[in-house]
Amino acid sequence: MADAVIEFQHVSKIYKRLFSEEKIAALSDVSFEALPGQVCAFLGPNGAGKTTSISILMGFFFANSGQVRVFGYPPGDIRAKEQIGFLPENFAFHKFLTAPKLLRFHLQLAGRDPAHAGSLIAELLAKVKLNGYEKLKIGKYSRGMVQRLGIAQALLCNPQLVVLDEPTSGLDPAGRREVLQLLSQLKAEGKTIFLSSHILPEVEQIADYAIIINRGKLVRSGRLQDLLAGGSQVEILADRAPAEPLPAAIVEPGPHGVRILVEAARKRETVESLWAAGCDVIAMNPLRSTLEELFLKEVDPGGGAS
Amino acid sequence: MKIRAIALNTFSGLVRNKIIILFCAGCICILLLMLTSLLGIRAVRARQNAEQMQMMVLPLIAGMMTFISGFGSLLAAWSAADSVAAEMRSGTVLAVLARPVHRWQFLLGKFLGVQLMMFVFVLIMLGLNYLLAWIGGATISTNPWVLVVYPMVRYMVYSALGTLLVTVMHPIIAFCVVLVVMIGSGLVAPGNPQTFMPDWLRTGLFYILPSSNLLSETRFLTITRATLKAAVWTDHATALLYGLDYALVCLVLAAWIFHSRSLSRD
Repeated sequence: MADAVIEFQHVSKIYKRLFSEEKIAALSDVSFEALPGQVCAFLGPNGAGKTTSISILMGFFFANSGQVRVFGYPPGDIRAKEQIGFLPENFAFHKFLTAPKLLRFHLQLAGRDPAHAGSLIAELLAKVKLNGYEKLKIGKYSRGMVQRLGIAQALLCNPQLVVLDEPTSGLDPAGRREVLQLLSQLKAEGKTIFLSSHILPEVEQIADYAIIINRGKLVRSGRLQDLLAGGSQVEILADRAPAEPLPAAIVEPGPHGVRILVEAARKRETVESLWAAGCDVIAMNPLRSTLEELFLKEVDPGGGAS
Repeated sequence: MKIRAIALNTFSGLVRNKIIILFCAGCICILLLMLTSLLGIRAVRARQNAEQMQMMVLPLIAGMMTFISGFGSLLAAWSAADSVAAEMRSGTVLAVLARPVHRWQFLLGKFLGVQLMMFVFVLIMLGLNYLLAWIGGATISTNPWVLVVYPMVRYMVYSALGTLLVTVMHPIIAFCVVLVVMIGSGLVAPGNPQTFMPDWLRTGLFYILPSSNLLSETRFLTITRATLKAAVWTDHATALLYGLDYALVCLVLAAWIFHSRSLSRD
């Protein structure tokens, strides 16, 4: 197996209030890893510890215990940071700069000569649909434009690992789709993407691996395919429901007929019953839960009931 | 290159900073008020003899120069504190330090950006000194390098102090502490006749607080035709090295504290 790009081993982080004994455990014994080329979705409700984990990963916060390695280096190490592109949550910027000047500034921070970077900057701005706004000060940008600029700066130095904290926040549906396409492109280029987001249907489209944390604790992690294929039920779509009730099946009305859920062992029997009743079977698929269903099951098993 | 980029970016931010612009506008208003008196005295000089004229004009010019110079110390401290705090407040520090930049490089870049702004301030101050002397009918006999290097070193001390304090406290509190330090260093200066402080405290504070008097260019500023205060090069070297050393200690301490503090949007 390839060396992990990100390794979290038994990481704990406790926040202490100044002049107070009060302690808040933001992370408790969290362990996970992200492999090269993987799109890793880092999920959790608000206050779960996602931003704290990302801050530890980037070297902004220090863990109280446990070990964190990024490309084999401790977080915050220059050698690791050279390979990372980072988009913080609610990306902030120097408002008096224009987008090309900001990108030039970030190139200088990365130790690169910005003198010959004109075409690279133009290409990146076109990629995030900000071409045509080169002369506008960033302070006058809309929230969505700032977010797209943040993505451009994260991709600036061709990073091997892209860490994105809520990359689609503030974007309209078209902007979200563009970001998703951009991430798919990065995935195809073999980049490792560590992504935190609340928009689960979108994450589900591109993620290979999911890590779910809640109240600072790791609740589930694994390949998305494995996590979502846990059910043993089959979904049958038919044009109408038979007059006689089907044994051990759940029948729900659908837009073009009915949706019937049965255990995999009873699928043949159910289909034969439908045919016998003169119904037409449109499709039959193994039931796959969605990431949203899995997420809600893990972080809110009671369904929000108090 | 990284430090230079941060320094230039800091300078660009500072010259657009509304608080600093307001600060400078206030200073200019006070200066204009003081200038009114100076011009008034100049207007009636035909009716005064040269000695009376000097007695009236010179303290006024010296007062204005001390005011501008002291204002510079506060400006240096505030700019240094605010330039770091503003990055923390807005969260831009996260994007900057996500790049392969050491925390000390970030802090040093910020410090140098402030020095760049203070250098522009010192050049304006130098021009103003000559202008005021000319309006007052006097000439400045001091070597110009003294009027540039001394205030620069003093501003380095106060901006390093501002940088150190802002790594552990809010910039407004840091600024207030610098103000107290400035007043305190003036009180414990050897030439000050104040008596309310016991000797041991006065001596202790003299060693701890940055000596603004020692680093004051006005020690050497001679705007009369009287004898120039002679100072050998070793005096200059000792005084300036004292200031640079003080600034360096503050900066190293700031870098050490900043290295181990958590960075988040405040």
